[in-house]
This record gives sequence, C-alpha cells and structure tokens, in this order.
Amino acid sequence: MAETETVHDRIVHARSEVTPTAALMTVALAAALGFTLFFLQDPLAHDAMHNFRHAAGITCH
Amino acid sequence: MIVDSLKRGLAAGVVAGLAYGLFMALVGNPLVEHLEHLAHHDGSHGHDHSHAVSDLTTAIVSVGSGVLWGILLGTAFGVAYYLFEPALPGVGSTKVYVLAGASFLTVSGVPWLALPPVAPGTEQALATDVRLAIYGGLMILGATICVLSIAAYRSVQDEYGRFAAVGLATTPLVLCTIPIVLVPTNVLTAPELAGVFLWLVAFGQIALWAVIAGVYAWLDRRVDSEAPTLNDLDDTATGV
Repeated sequence: MAETETVHDRIVHARSEVTPTAALMTVALAAALGFTLFFLQDPLAHDAMHNFRHAAGITCH
Repeated sequence: MIVDSLKRGLAAGVVAGLAYGLFMALVGNPLVEHLEHLAHHDGSHGHDHSHAVSDLTTAIVSVGSGVLWGILLGTAFGVAYYLFEPALPGVGSTKVYVLAGASFLTVSGVPWLALPPVAPGTEQALATDVRLAIYGGLMILGATICVLSIAAYRSVQDEYGRFAAVGLATTPLVLCTIPIVLVPTNVLTAPELAGVFLWLVAFGQIALWAVIAGVYAWLDRRVDSEAPTLNDLDDTATGV
C-alpha cells in the first residue's frame, strides 16, 4: 500500500479519520508533557527533575 | 490508521521509557549525584544548588521523567511515522530505523554539536534562556538536514543506485558546521569525567531511539503478517 501513497495522501487520510478536537487534545497533551520535561524552570520542578535533565542532555540547566 | 500508528508508537514508547527509567535509576541518578558531590567538594564554583527538594525526590522524579520522556518520544514517533512513511527511503523496517535516526539527530544530535550534554558542576557561559533558544533553533536545523538528506537520497536512488544515493545524502551534513562554528564556546570549566558523562548521555539517547524503533518495527511487522493482503516484501527475511 505504501508504494503509491504520498505524504499528502497520508495527511488527507489522517484528517478524515481524526477529529480536529482529538488532534488538538493530543498535541496539547504532548506539548504540556514536553514543556514540563524540557523547559519548566520552577525551582521545585527543576530540582526534582535535575538528574533526568542532566542525564538526557537537556540544556536548560 | 494514524490512530493505530500512534498506539504502536505509544507502546514502543512505554517499553523504551521503562528501559530508560531503569537506566536513569541504575546509571543516571548515581552518576549525576556522584559528579555533583565531586563538584561541591571541589571548591566554590559551579551552579550552587540550594536544593528545593530532597535527593530521594529528585531520584524518583527523575526516573519517572525518564519513563515519560520515552512515552512522549514514542508517541510522537508513531504519528510522524504514519505521516512520513511514504517519503522515507528503504523497504519495510528500514524506514522505521531511518526515521528513528533522523529523530535522534533532530532532538539531540545536532543541537548537541553546539550545546553538548554537561556534567553537573559545569560552568556555562550562556544564560539558560539563550541556550533554550539556541537549542530550539538547532532542532529546526537538525530536521532540515534530515529532510534534505532524505530528499537527496530519493532523487538519485533509482537512477544511480544505492551507493551514490548514500553518498549524496551525506552532503547536507556540512550544515552541521553551522552550530559548531557560530555558537560561542559555552562551557567555562568542565569538571572531571565530563567526557565520560557526555558519551553515557549519548548512549542513553541512542539506545532509547533504538528501542523505540525496534519495538515499533516489531509491532508493525506483526500487524502486517496478520493482514496478508498487504504485499510486504521482506518481513520474514529480516527476522525479529
């Protein structure tokens, strides 16, 4: 099936399958998780994730 | 279909995340704590930590963060794989590994050229905000390099064969010199074991992506073999 499809087809296909709300919620969840792990500078969060951020090579430290 | 791919990515992310959490618990936590200990005894330099939470909390939250990290990357991988699969070079599982390699370069590899993982106790010249902005910019650069590389491969693969295509695909890597040349030296003082630490971090991230790709490819093959209408070429040949 992959031979004839293009990335554009996949996007169209995905749009017909997933409602905008569901897509938005997924993106929002992923963004929230990413923000917390990567960027959150609040001292409590920062210190609690200290080892992880060092060990994962995340720069905000 | 995209939901199926997301689920496979999520499952792969859970497996990789648990493995990475274990890595955090067994290697990451003790190593960071040890280096921190060294740095504090070393003198007055380094970012002085007045810890807001206990060491135990840090250790536990760090392990949990490692698990979530795997889940986040795996899920994103599943969605990206569904969307970009037609554009990826190779057949069958190769595509999965190509995307995983590109993901590593985008998320970690290319940004690390300018801002390598630092051991605790390292003094850095650039402020956190500046580093975050640079890191974000370099993720975009990393993605661009991967796209150019794959496009170059695809443009000559059919006509000139695989070797020429691989050769041409390496040319966008010259863009990697941009972060190396343009970003000023950030690390002022590197503590002992900084090199070891860097390679251990790199190993952790590469292994994380390898597990995500491996589990995803395995789930993908399993689904394909259950649906014989899909003409898959090399399923049985590649093995598990």
